[in-house]
Amino acid sequence: MALPYYAKKRIIDVIISCFMLLFLLLTLLPVGWMVFSSLKSSSDIAIGRVGLSRNVAGQVEVHWDNYVDMWKNVNFGLYLKNSLIICGATMFLAMILSTLASYALSRFKFPGSDLFSNTILATQMIPAIMYLIPLYIMFVKFTVLTEIPIKGTYTGLILIYSAFFVPFSIWILRGFFASIPKELEEAARIDGCSALQVFWYIALPLARPGIIATGIYLFLQAWDELMFAWVLTNGDTMTIPVGIRLFVGNYQNRFDLMMAAATVATIPVVVLFFLLQKHIVKGLTAGAVKG
Amino acid sequence: MARVLLENVCKYFDDVVAVKDVNLEIKDKEFVVMVGPSGCGKTTTLRMIAGLEEISSGKIQIGDQLINDVAPKDRNIAMVFQSYALYPHMKVYDNMAFGLKLSGIPKKEIDQRVREAGDILELANLLDRYPKQLSGGQRQRVALGRAIVRNPKVFLMDEPLSNLDAKLRVQMRAELQRLHKKLEATIIYVTHDQTEAMTLGQRIAVILNGELQQVEAPLNVYDRPANRFVAGFIGSPPMNFVRGTIAKSPAGVYSFECDGFKFDVPADLGQLLAAHVGKPVVFGLRPEDIWDVPSSGWIEQKTIVESKVDFRELMGSETYVYAKVGSVSLTGRVGAMADPQPGSNFGLVFNLRKIHFFDPETQKAII
Repeated sequence: MALPYYAKKRIIDVIISCFMLLFLLLTLLPVGWMVFSSLKSSSDIAIGRVGLSRNVAGQVEVHWDNYVDMWKNVNFGLYLKNSLIICGATMFLAMILSTLASYALSRFKFPGSDLFSNTILATQMIPAIMYLIPLYIMFVKFTVLTEIPIKGTYTGLILIYSAFFVPFSIWILRGFFASIPKELEEAARIDGCSALQVFWYIALPLARPGIIATGIYLFLQAWDELMFAWVLTNGDTMTIPVGIRLFVGNYQNRFDLMMAAATVATIPVVVLFFLLQKHIVKGLTAGAVKG
Repeated sequence: MARVLLENVCKYFDDVVAVKDVNLEIKDKEFVVMVGPSGCGKTTTLRMIAGLEEISSGKIQIGDQLINDVAPKDRNIAMVFQSYALYPHMKVYDNMAFGLKLSGIPKKEIDQRVREAGDILELANLLDRYPKQLSGGQRQRVALGRAIVRNPKVFLMDEPLSNLDAKLRVQMRAELQRLHKKLEATIIYVTHDQTEAMTLGQRIAVILNGELQQVEAPLNVYDRPANRFVAGFIGSPPMNFVRGTIAKSPAGVYSFECDGFKFDVPADLGQLLAAHVGKPVVFGLRPEDIWDVPSSGWIEQKTIVESKVDFRELMGSETYVYAKVGSVSLTGRVGAMADPQPGSNFGLVFNLRKIHFFDPETQKAII
């Protein structure tokens, strides 16, 4: 079949678009299911009804009240606060450390710089669960020896999360810093910048899209993390993934409230993403060098 | 403004010698162009003056200050990069004001200086744009503006015009000369483009393999190249080189002979060849000193060589003829009216006042 070039191209475009649409639907399906389930009654979920049930008068029952009850049934407000504090602080600390470290690794050659880079990568090859028991023992021993409480505190989890995410972000950010033309920094040095000023005025603003994208990724990882949060927090400091399990337990099965809570837990992340998405779009460096 | 002095400056990258023993004095308010093929060490030399590259050995002075160990920001220089290196996240205004802000100059003065430079370079209505919104030529002018506002002792320019199209390049060349007059600045300019070197420099420094070959006024370099490399590098199309020998007749007339042609060297020039009689030499003649018979009437001392035309390039204003004489290939720049047909015979007229001879061993110029 000899189709003209552009007709063929258009057909291929349509096929590709269909695939992407299908993929998008597959991705959104569980999310939609979650939101839909959050509007059902507990008993409808229990019996596995697909649609919404009707009341005696024949009207469809939408259980908006789930969104009120979820705050009362468990202390969801506290978990939300804990998550925001822990994830926010983690993002802040990890990004400060990793931007400085990745800039240094991408720009300066110093004794051991290659070894350091490779070690960073090597740490990522050990599964996180291998650290769980050693860390638990460390936390307990640390408190026994120093009498400084660390298990069950914000600080404990923030430090653990930062330690886990810094290597990954260093590796990602290094690429962003390396892509900044050296000449821009040389021009800045001639213009009167010290090394730190070059970092602050030139490298940091130019790597901003990368820094923001990495930061959001870290936040999401911390937001969703269950294993360490479960083991290393207590009733006062538990985060959303830990707290949300309490809707389903020995004495109750409130999947409806759990779905509502999960929906609410998604909102900050979605908002964050939409607020910063224009920064994530790259192309800021276009026009820096030639054109 | 200030003079720049390079004394025995060397640069090694591990075992590779990038710059070898460069001695150069650039006078106050002088426009010096460093020219050479890519990889010859000219940019490295400039970067050492800028402080972006450490000096392996030797001394560099700006004004009366030894700057070997002075940070770039304290050398009082400005540099224009080949890629312009404009800060993409800053508007044109801030690009130009950045250096001034860092040195703590009052806002009012910064504003005045940026606007002044903007006027000189016709950037006044582009000050609120970002670099990516500018054309190549405009970016180039911003890069110049950023250098001008700082009012440095020395301007360093690293192939600043090489990313522009041909027409804009000619325009910017004129602009640069105008700026040099206006600013009375010391400018060190690096290029691989010999036209830029010829038109811009008060003196040009030809560099090859990290070594300075010749530093002189452009026309001197053109007319009296110090060695075969300089002769071949400056001028386009490049100079013709022909290997041959020098002979002396019983009557005392020196002549050059090669596989293809033979001519008598004018008496005054011939004497300079006395030490080379019977020895191999390299004869050099620029294409522009080879003429066609009809337009060579004015030349007093000439010789005509019959050649066979290989091919030709019609430029409109002139014609380049590529011809063979025996086994020797020659390029001539002849009049536009001459119409050398490929394969036909064509008389090439050498202007004997313009001939060069080089020693094939040392490559140095004899005449």
